[in-house]
Amino acid sequence: MKPRSIVIGSSALIALTAGGSLWFYVMSSPLSAPSVVATQAIDFNRDVRPILSDHCFACHGPDANKGRKAGLRLDTPEGALALLKSDHRAIVPGDIHESAIVGRIHHTDEEEVMPPPDFKRPLTPEQKNTLTQWIAQGGRYAKHWAFVKPQSTPPPKVKLAQWVRDPLDTYILASMEKAGLIPAKEADRATLLRRVSFVLTGLPPTPEETEAFIADVSANAYEKQVDRLLASKRYAEHAAVAWLDLARYADTAGYSGDPEMPVSPWRDWLLNVIDRNLPYDQFITWQLAGDLLPNATTEQRLATAFNRLHRVTFEGGSIAEEMRKESISDRVSTFGFAFTALTLECAKCHDHKYDPIPQRDFYALSAMFSDIDENGLLPYHGAVPVPVLRLTNAEQDIKIAALQKAVDVAQQRFDECQRLHSTAAINVSVPKPDSHYSLETLDKGATPNTYGKPATTERHRGDQLGKITLSDGKVGRGMAFDGDGGLWLDGFSGFSSDKEFTFSTWIKAGERNQRAVLLHASGFYTNDADATGLELMIDQGRIRWSCIQQWPGSAIAIRSRQLLAENTWVLLTVTYNGLSRAAGLRIYLNGELAESETIRDHLTGPIGGATLELGSRSRDSGFRNGSMDEVKIWRTELTAAEIAQMAGINPDANSLAEHSLFKGNTAYLQARNELRSAQQTLRNYVDSIPVIVTMTQTAYTRPTYILQRGAYDQPDLKRAVSPGVVDAVLPFPQGLPANRLGLARWLTSNDNPLTARVAVNRVWMQIFGQGLVRTPENFGLQGDAPTHPELLDQLAIDFQKSWDTKALLRRFVLSATFRQSSVGSEKSVTLDPQNTLLSRGPTQRLTSEMLRDQALFAAGVLVEKFGGRSQSGGSTVDEYKSDPGESNRRRSVYTYRKRTMPPPSQQIFDAGSREVCQVRRLTTNTPLQALVLLNEPIYFECARGLAERSTREANDVTTRIMRAFKLMCGRSPRSTELSALTELYNQQRAAFSKTPEDARKVCGKIDADLAALTLVCSTLMASDSAITLR
Amino acid sequence: MYPQRPPTYDELMSVTRRHFLGASALGLGAFALRQVMGSSLLAGDAPMPLAGGLNGLPGLPHHLPKAKRIIYLFQAGGPSQFETFDPKPLLRQQNGKSLPESVRGGQRLTGMSGNQSTLPMAGAFTDFKKYGKAGIEISDLLPHTAKVADELCVIRSMHTEAINHDPAITFFASGSQIAGRPSMGAWMSYGLGSLNQNLPAFVVLVSKDATRDQPLYSRLWGSGFLPSEHQGVQFRAGKEPVLYLTNPEGVSPHARRSMLDALSKLSAEARQHSLDPEIDARVAQAEMAFRMQTSVPEVSDVSGESQATLDLYGPQAKVPGTFAANCLLARRLVERGVRFVQLFHQGWDQHGNLPGAIRRQCSQTDQGSGALIADLKQRGLLEDTLVVWGGEFGRTSYCQGQMTKDDYGRDHHPRCFSIWMAGGGVKAGHVHGQTDEFGYNIVNNPVHVHDLHATMMHLMGVDHERLTFKFQGRHYRLTDIAGQVVQEVVA
Repeated sequence: MKPRSIVIGSSALIALTAGGSLWFYVMSSPLSAPSVVATQAIDFNRDVRPILSDHCFACHGPDANKGRKAGLRLDTPEGALALLKSDHRAIVPGDIHESAIVGRIHHTDEEEVMPPPDFKRPLTPEQKNTLTQWIAQGGRYAKHWAFVKPQSTPPPKVKLAQWVRDPLDTYILASMEKAGLIPAKEADRATLLRRVSFVLTGLPPTPEETEAFIADVSANAYEKQVDRLLASKRYAEHAAVAWLDLARYADTAGYSGDPEMPVSPWRDWLLNVIDRNLPYDQFITWQLAGDLLPNATTEQRLATAFNRLHRVTFEGGSIAEEMRKESISDRVSTFGFAFTALTLECAKCHDHKYDPIPQRDFYALSAMFSDIDENGLLPYHGAVPVPVLRLTNAEQDIKIAALQKAVDVAQQRFDECQRLHSTAAINVSVPKPDSHYSLETLDKGATPNTYGKPATTERHRGDQLGKITLSDGKVGRGMAFDGDGGLWLDGFSGFSSDKEFTFSTWIKAGERNQRAVLLHASGFYTNDADATGLELMIDQGRIRWSCIQQWPGSAIAIRSRQLLAENTWVLLTVTYNGLSRAAGLRIYLNGELAESETIRDHLTGPIGGATLELGSRSRDSGFRNGSMDEVKIWRTELTAAEIAQMAGINPDANSLAEHSLFKGNTAYLQARNELRSAQQTLRNYVDSIPVIVTMTQTAYTRPTYILQRGAYDQPDLKRAVSPGVVDAVLPFPQGLPANRLGLARWLTSNDNPLTARVAVNRVWMQIFGQGLVRTPENFGLQGDAPTHPELLDQLAIDFQKSWDTKALLRRFVLSATFRQSSVGSEKSVTLDPQNTLLSRGPTQRLTSEMLRDQALFAAGVLVEKFGGRSQSGGSTVDEYKSDPGESNRRRSVYTYRKRTMPPPSQQIFDAGSREVCQVRRLTTNTPLQALVLLNEPIYFECARGLAERSTREANDVTTRIMRAFKLMCGRSPRSTELSALTELYNQQRAAFSKTPEDARKVCGKIDADLAALTLVCSTLMASDSAITLR
Repeated sequence: MYPQRPPTYDELMSVTRRHFLGASALGLGAFALRQVMGSSLLAGDAPMPLAGGLNGLPGLPHHLPKAKRIIYLFQAGGPSQFETFDPKPLLRQQNGKSLPESVRGGQRLTGMSGNQSTLPMAGAFTDFKKYGKAGIEISDLLPHTAKVADELCVIRSMHTEAINHDPAITFFASGSQIAGRPSMGAWMSYGLGSLNQNLPAFVVLVSKDATRDQPLYSRLWGSGFLPSEHQGVQFRAGKEPVLYLTNPEGVSPHARRSMLDALSKLSAEARQHSLDPEIDARVAQAEMAFRMQTSVPEVSDVSGESQATLDLYGPQAKVPGTFAANCLLARRLVERGVRFVQLFHQGWDQHGNLPGAIRRQCSQTDQGSGALIADLKQRGLLEDTLVVWGGEFGRTSYCQGQMTKDDYGRDHHPRCFSIWMAGGGVKAGHVHGQTDEFGYNIVNNPVHVHDLHATMMHLMGVDHERLTFKFQGRHYRLTDIAGQVVQEVVA
């Protein structure tokens, strides 16, 4: 296209370079209109959108709710071309004089110029010029590249066609040639093998492997090496690290006291599926929705722990709903970065400022990820927060299936027996309780128990206040509660989910309690997170009766429909039959069975519980303004007839029949015992099997609302949302389930423009050091455009055919592009300092994991064992000395990650804290890095190990130094290097000969040779040839 | 001239591949570059007289700074304002009576006291007196702080958004409750650079003598998405003041020097072959590491301090790792050009047993704090060193838990609390802001955490709206999208 040129007014021409194209900017006087001369056509996606996005969209972008100024929206052509209230149009295609935006961006008046000075992000003259020129050229918009499905284009024509090994090289070569560059020569074999070994396995080759490769004259010598590396388990141990960063995987919960979270089985799952090359579409699907797959396996369910690896707190006083919403947001935003490279979290508080993601979409995705029955807080008592998955093996699965079958059979038999009509007349008499507190006296904080230890008020915790007092009772005196003070039923414990229980009390509520604890057995209290054991509450004026492992995900609970009468004595009796079903819980009011609704019926683990307390719980709402009298407890389930009799009413016929059944029917009693026994057998077997957090869809979903400004307690009740996706990416196809499985299907659909591109780009980054899109975490409008868009699209389309990650890696490392020497021509370095055009091979500083693993490997002390618990990395002297065995010498992927205190040497080498999703790491260069390499105990031990090994494997000083160099740097030393190291050796040998004790400290024995060689090896570990991949 | 722009995350990502000459325009690596090219900078140990540091961003400071360095005495756990800097006679008069519901106005409470049936007002057990010419009221628990009252600018109207420790302390440290953002010191180091060549720009000191009631996290001095060179370096009491600083046993300084010389030869060889300028930068960093091996023990060694100085800080100053010793060390660090020193002293989380515990906290921290101000003053350092004292939130005016004649506790209270600043261009002998007579709400001049950050940056010559870093497509700053410089406290 012939460039249009517009010159208005008399002005000086100044040449500028911008974005690789030459511009002539015309310095115009303040009064005259702006003017430009362009030599190249403007591309909206490449040249214009980044400017509009960064400088304009914050006020004139997609966010409709808040702050869109002047009614102007510049992110859509409709908005930009519209007639504004001011009677202007921001953009009039082809007419820079009529386009209001042109005048405003060039304005010299602080009141008028755009962006306004207080936005503090002014446009540069070249940016103003670009915008002006774009309008002059017609002001055409284009859809953001990342939201358009990848398009296949024929490979470009290239001159140096013989260089091409893979079609991808054609695209790289074409852009090189366009810039007047040629590829670098192929790297020498030693360099190439070290490079490919590290990028595929995170470890260097052995000198023997290098020598064999150099000597291999077969045509496929390099392919053989690549296939060997990809088949190695070391590949998975390396490739997993990037995904662990992204999955914010760590071994601790991350907030407050930062307790351990046992999630390493998920890490092992990851290692396994990477090792066996699970296709990427399944890799995604399992992690997002493995539990929703038909006949989901343990492995598929385990994958979903991905969504639960976010931080979680048990800090006292935390608000469960706030943290639950926080967890869900984390799942959504991690999903966004990991799979779609979208900054979804920007749409949590308002419509996205840059991308077409309305706030509604964020909450539609939130609804996808809020389908589990969770509390939001970590239980203080240390249990793994439900929902959980039992980590069973195949053998255990068979055993459990058999035990479950036995329970099901017994349950069926029991259900049948419950329907039996028993006619035998059994005498009804209320049995003697196991405890009876008549609450007549209160002496020194104690009140007697007719059948055991007295109850006391003396167990107040430090932060509990309030007291109980004697008051008028139902029978004589009773006990009045103030909501803060409680009565401890000391010595009364030993309840479990397989034991019967009955509790009865006269109760008088002085008000309509919204929430009041009547009886509980939990320890600490934080918003239900620590509630465990038997629990009797007033809940919105009704009686709630529960048996809890963890609330709400593992509990049975019922609630009376009737409101509790106020200011009158009511006989409240609750029973439990010890059979772990909500049907076995009953509430009686004044001797009559109260109609109730089931709140939860899903008890999956052992209930906890300590001493029972009446009327209060630390940090909870107690029985304020209420009284109790004649408290009785039985370790059996009383029948309806007995309870009626206790209340002084005549049992009805049904009660009597049931009483007869429960007390006198052998078949019933046998069925009941058998069911209990089958349940106990199952429970005893499964409870010892470790569990892990997981996703399990619940029937008790809570509605999702858009949260105003993202605040957990500000739901917009008029704006409920159902599960959904980001429609601007791809509308949710009809027929898919509106859940996480549907989400995975949407994501892995070939029509999704992002998934494959994002994955391919990340793999490219692993191999070449930087992505084709330099912002692998952000493909949105504020991210970078691809450097090679056609190549990215073609790779994405190819990848969608098989989702085969290893095949993709194989292509990359076999390409001519990858095989280039990293030493480029002077022209390549000058024209392309950042190597965007890849006219030379990649250079990378080793990651913290690679550095440490290489040191252990070269010293020959690396302990290679696939999977298992996380272990100390030997990062500090204390850690190192505390466990000098295997744990310090395993690969770094197994290093224990404490989120609030990550391994310091890993942090110094730019590893993140794993508190939030991290898509890539920075590479920095600091003094502390030198200190780590030279002084960290594990590195120095490796230096000594390397010296010992070299001493063993070679016979004289020179060959030993050469051996150490080869082990550490993957090649033979050059003469200058050898002489520098030999000189160091000689100096140090002389010094250690004079200070033998120093030699002993360095290498454990008085051996000046070994000590000197140790220092040589230590120096090598800090050298560029060791720490940089070239 | 074009507006100067800080490098983005993406540009920094490519640092290892950057061409030698291309490096000078950007902050990172420029330091190393200057070390390589301009050996004159290496000559002296004296702090640089520049306001903008060695590897700061171009264009910073934005304006003439009043302060060149900051010492932040962070009091972790949330000190009670009622027993320190905000006297409330009404609470003592009405001790034990319920806090009127109208005062609370339905604001949220923590899950710890939010379910209490009664919220009895708790008067402070301590008395207050007026100190200095300014007559600032300070509690009897802080006699040494009281002595420097005329240097203090007490803010009684701080408020924050978080109500639990972890999010609240993270908010103070990084301007966000969400983990992963750079800390204050990291921003300062990134924007303004270092004032010296032998010590890190941002140093963290954690008291060993504190009660460890609530944990600290390395994210509080982390670099977040900024390059990790800006993270705070923790100095510890004991044999190894900085992790990995000490040579392995048996390796003499002489041997280390020879190793570095050999390393330098290897690097020259590698440089010649690879043409990669990053190698030079790495050599320079190794040399700085070597200098730190001398400079860090030197700064940590207080044996050269005069008896008068040691007496000023009190007997604890000789016990390494105590708050008092750390205050003295902080002075030595800023003297040598450290840009930002942050002390952390835990133990202020007094839900119960407040009178006993706060007495202990004050006795641990009062003398060091007061001495630091006096010492900086006598050395002429106070005028361009900003000192800040305070915690992550305040405490409730009502009692949490059991209240007895001489014992009570206070829950977390984010709605108002007190901090103080001194030196570095803030008004001396000044009180800013006021709370209501119940000590529950702010009556005038509220100062939000973002406002405090904006003010600190302003004093350091930084426009908080212009020190930004583009990450994940967004221009992040310490003050997020808020923050107003509190001009009333600026001298």
